Amino acid sequence: MHQTIPQQTLIDCTNLTTREINQKLKALASESIPTVKLLNPAGRHNLAVGITQNIAISIEGPVGYYCGGLSENINIEVFGDCGWSVGENFMSGNITIHGNASANAAASAQGGKICVLGHAGARAGISLKGATIIVTGNVGYGSAFMMQQGCMIVCGNAGANLADSIYDGVIFVGGEINSLGADAKLEPMNNADWQLLEQELSILNISAKNYNFKKVICAKQLYHFKAKDWANY
Amino acid sequence: MEREQVLKTSSTYTPEVIAAIQERAELGRYMIRGYGAFRNVPRFDDLVFLTTSLTRLPLEGYREKCTTKTLIGTRYAQRPMELDIPITIAGMSFGALSYNAKVALGRAATLLGTSTTTGDGGMLPAEREASSKLVYQCLPSRYGFNPTDLKKADAIEIVVGQGAKPGGGGLLLGQKVNKVVAGMRTLPEGVDQRSPCRHPDWIGPDDLRIKIEELREATDWEIPIYVKMGATRVKDDVKLAVKAGADAIVLDGMEGGTAATQSIFQEHTGIPTLPALVQAVEALQEIGVYGEVQLIISGGIRSGPDVAKALALGADAVSLGTATLIAMGCNKPVYIEDYHKLGTEPYHCHHCHTGMCPVGITTQDAELMQRLPVDEATTYVANYLQSLVMEIQSLARACGKSNVHNLEREDLVALTLEASAMAKLPLAGTDFIMGQS
Ligand SMILES: Cc1cc2nc3c(=O)[nH]c(=O)nc-3n(C[C@H](O)[C@H](O)[C@H](O)COP(=O)(O)O)c2cc1C
Repeated sequence: MHQTIPQQTLIDCTNLTTREINQKLKALASESIPTVKLLNPAGRHNLAVGITQNIAISIEGPVGYYCGGLSENINIEVFGDCGWSVGENFMSGNITIHGNASANAAASAQGGKICVLGHAGARAGISLKGATIIVTGNVGYGSAFMMQQGCMIVCGNAGANLADSIYDGVIFVGGEINSLGADAKLEPMNNADWQLLEQELSILNISAKNYNFKKVICAKQLYHFKAKDWANY
Repeated sequence: MEREQVLKTSSTYTPEVIAAIQERAELGRYMIRGYGAFRNVPRFDDLVFLTTSLTRLPLEGYREKCTTKTLIGTRYAQRPMELDIPITIAGMSFGALSYNAKVALGRAATLLGTSTTTGDGGMLPAEREASSKLVYQCLPSRYGFNPTDLKKADAIEIVVGQGAKPGGGGLLLGQKVNKVVAGMRTLPEGVDQRSPCRHPDWIGPDDLRIKIEELREATDWEIPIYVKMGATRVKDDVKLAVKAGADAIVLDGMEGGTAATQSIFQEHTGIPTLPALVQAVEALQEIGVYGEVQLIISGGIRSGPDVAKALALGADAVSLGTATLIAMGCNKPVYIEDYHKLGTEPYHCHHCHTGMCPVGITTQDAELMQRLPVDEATTYVANYLQSLVMEIQSLARACGKSNVHNLEREDLVALTLEASAMAKLPLAGTDFIMGQS
């Protein structure tokens, strides 16, 4: 059941199936209802998946896998932690998590912005294809693995093998980098980089200047497969 | 009298082995190529049909109807895939294949009322337009995978692996990654594109279950979801895919073709299509979903008899890759000089990976592609599919069946002990089943 109170539509997830919740969200989006609040998500998987019409969804509590996956044009705020692959293949809009994200945050995300206001687990930004992912805490091992395009900003530390096998895109790390993966390299920060960080982080009330940001990009040494490079794989 | 010289060839160091060792010595790496396995494996050719005589009655070949309608994805999908024939076109990427080849496959499939499949590279708009029924692949690379195209799909195929390289990723060489291909894949132009071997956002079958729910939610539970795998540990893999919620299983045996992988994968990994099919059917039966979860089998299927035997062994449909390329003119003895430039000959060419395809099929070179006019290629593929259907119907009628799906194991026997063991069919003319009797 959803109940409309002025300016805010509430959906209590407790007795609804995931199918019913997503159907309601899609129906509300097509009715041009601007904001919806989901109550009692209880770590459920696949919430707000495949929504392609403009809507703002606030989720009061933890969510499971793929929250906001395969969506466009939407704004999601999660007040809780989230499971694997939040914002998987996200196209446009914003996802903000007021908590920690598990593995694969923003996997293959193509556009929009995914903000984790906490830590993200292993393989954050894996095969990122153009989106921006911001993590105010740490990211785990293998983050930005096979990244193709886009931007990842990590205020905290990055685990081992950061940016392994990336093709393109840029990663900024404010804390320590445990190790870089194959074909990733550090590049000096320039003014434009600091400006970008200032712009992205000031919205979150964070000053980029407080961190010792380092920039990681693709070294482009392994763009062409050569047997003599074997030791790098 | 002088004795004629007798040339001896080592069975260990055959000319092929010698050439392979010397090629590796020069390159310092393994060989990469297109096509499927070259080695000989037990296959559908090793089976024959027991058609009718007195115990069963045949149907009139030129008078009585023999239905070929095929339904895939009846388990959960609101809109299962309705095919006019039990043959589909396998996923082959735009990038590996030229634009013209992709469009021709789409149009030919539409003429025959069957589906084509996208590939590692996304949905080409012209392909969508050409294909009345299009299966959209969700691959580990996610190249060109997006919610907009997802909503245009008639089915989704989650690719876990391919028969030509189970457990391996792909390599699309830089010369094929031109501006358009690179754009669709969000890659820098000209890079050697290394496709991943596993999905970025899930690992095991429990994750796959949640992944499938995500895709169903995104498509409102309307279209079927297939899971495609290379044939290795078939029984367990099929059972897990079913448990994860697949509507249909696409199983690709070791003869399966590819545009590029390591030769060692093609020759030394996976199991042949014949035993893979038999094990998949058994797996579905063991968990009580045979008939509910459909089975599409692929890998080295070339002829009507191949298809008819696959149906008789329990497949719901087959999928064709390489054979449709051959129908379009792959390995045809034309432009012979260009074959020579590649260091090969017509009938021996497997240079899909270099992008220099002499007949314009596996290339991104505009000039080479002109050699494959879409209309002509469409006609060839459509004719070929039509001929396969006629062959299947002929065999089915001769077995007394008015529906090709009524072909059954009873209708087959094996010609070799290997095939008898793998297909669990009696050796022709005996009651002996190798390994069971
Ligand atoms: C040129 C070419 C490109 C292929 N590209 C893909 C692909 O992108 N995704 C995929 O799942 N399989 C791909 N395959 C494998 C086919 O989908 C299919 O599994 C195989 O070709 C079946 O065996 P057959 O070629 O013997 O018919 C490709 C095969 C060929 C020949």
